Amino acid sequence: MISIRNISANAGSFILKDINLEIKDGEYFVVVGPTGSGKTILLECLAGLQRLRGGEILISGKNITPVPPERRELGYVPQDYALFPFLDVRENIIFGLQPKKISKQELEKKVSSLANLLSIHHLLDRNVRTLSGGEKQRVAIARALAISPKVLLLDEPMGSLDVRTAKYLRLELKRYHEELGITTIHVTHNLIEAEEMAERMAILHMGQIEQVGTPDEVFFYPKSPFVADFIGTPNILDCDYYNDIGHGLIEAVCGGVPIILPHHDGPVRKLTLLPRDVYVTTRTPPGPGINRFRGTVMEITPFSSLIKLTIKVGEINLLAELPQDIFEEMDIRTGHEVHLILKLRSLRVY
Amino acid sequence: MKGFFSLPGERLFHVATLSALGFLLLFFVGIISSLATYTDWRQFFSILFSKEILFAIRLTLFTSTMATIISMVFAVPAAYAISKTNFRGKNIVDTILDLPIVISPIALGAALFVFFNTSLGRALEGNLMRFVFEVPGIVLAQFTIISALAVRLLKATFDSINPRYERVGRTLGYTKIKVFFKVTLPLARNGLIAASILTWARAVGEFGATVTVAGAMKMKTETLPIAIFLNLAQAEVERAIAVVFVLVAIAVIALVILRRFTSRRQTS
Repeated sequence: MISIRNISANAGSFILKDINLEIKDGEYFVVVGPTGSGKTILLECLAGLQRLRGGEILISGKNITPVPPERRELGYVPQDYALFPFLDVRENIIFGLQPKKISKQELEKKVSSLANLLSIHHLLDRNVRTLSGGEKQRVAIARALAISPKVLLLDEPMGSLDVRTAKYLRLELKRYHEELGITTIHVTHNLIEAEEMAERMAILHMGQIEQVGTPDEVFFYPKSPFVADFIGTPNILDCDYYNDIGHGLIEAVCGGVPIILPHHDGPVRKLTLLPRDVYVTTRTPPGPGINRFRGTVMEITPFSSLIKLTIKVGEINLLAELPQDIFEEMDIRTGHEVHLILKLRSLRVY
Repeated sequence: MKGFFSLPGERLFHVATLSALGFLLLFFVGIISSLATYTDWRQFFSILFSKEILFAIRLTLFTSTMATIISMVFAVPAAYAISKTNFRGKNIVDTILDLPIVISPIALGAALFVFFNTSLGRALEGNLMRFVFEVPGIVLAQFTIISALAVRLLKATFDSINPRYERVGRTLGYTKIKVFFKVTLPLARNGLIAASILTWARAVGEFGATVTVAGAMKMKTETLPIAIFLNLAQAEVERAIAVVFVLVAIAVIALVILRRFTSRRQTS
């Protein structure tokens, strides 16, 4: 168990204020927040790389606050991975084992098992400058894991990867976590990454924790206006009744609007859907009319580079989001009638 | 401002900048090659291998190498401290370290000369070693001129090292001192070599401070720049020119090696 109690830290003009977190053994915990919210500083406080102004950090009941980073036994993977360019892949991996003065045989065994776990056997003799982003990430994780850390700290591990590689490596990270069962703290600004990876997550904003919970708790029950804005307030639809319509499908009627979704065990009381999963179009969409509705634009609110639309469908108001350029192209105004498509796979049932 | 970025304007700008470059290139190549017109090539090699010039070459290489080693011993930790540590008065320290680069070498030499006339200076000369009008004085004068330059160059190298490397090193079980030797110095390797070459080349060409502290004595404190000065003073122009060619050759070799390391650094 990692207990972070009332920690505060100053980094230049930035202040981390009274952070309290409890992270369970073996948990995959994600700290998510916009750029400049203090995620990296929080991770550096855990690693012992930032001096605390107050508070303490306990791991398995032991206060590690005064322990220097080299004796904390935490595996740290920084942004951009910081692989040592003057060493090859193998030398990078064993770098943390050299102060421990272990035998050559043991070193080789360790390298081999890490290379198997991370599928990097073919890279061991390569110059790190020649690696792709995904390969660098795996080598950096191997280097961090080589010291058999109690906790793995990952700072924006997908930050510099393309979408497809990031998606693949998220699955890989989950696999390493399942195989090793190591407590992992992962910081990111990417909500989709957080939702996909986290067992629990914390939302950080301007150096303070706004909310801690499972992704579902955070996404569907945001505790503060900031969290609601940051995740994009979800649509929560109260369902009046539901019918099994066969073929593994059910029809849930929420506020007079019939929504078709895959069969669900147990009662269907509420459906939730993020605004980004409500597609808006001014033309009649082709194909069958399942989960496609007509609605009237009630309100238009600009939010950063997005436009938020409140659209009345039947008796319910649905919130949708559009990028500003697409919104302008569609020339949507209040009172206009639009077509909506609900992304079936993103509907959640409660 | 209308038309400032138009095509004729841009062309004029290119012509103006390239003309300035061409002028400077011609100027430097011109003054160096003009030396050749004054050289009697039959006598050149006998002058070059004369006892006096060989002594000057040996003395210059020895003193400049010593001065470079000593200045790097101080400059590496000093540059690291000023690059990576925050302390009160850092800006003032930074400015003081810039002074030797800006002040005339002869003024610094004069300051050293005066220092050895104080009681502390006399005590040092009496108990440690003699500097004034002696070879150690040359090394000290060169050290005074090049150490600040070494700190400036090395600070730029340490500034360019991403602190994440050092942070990772700490989390991998290395203390701050071990991280300095195992992470920071290997990352600074090319910068260290480049700074050593540049400061060494600067020491080879040092004249003002050297002549003030160590004097201009034939076959005693006669470095290559002092050999030029002494030979010109005695109207031995051809001897002076031979020494100039030696200095140009050393500078070219140093710059070629420097280019190798800096280009490697840029591609890394």
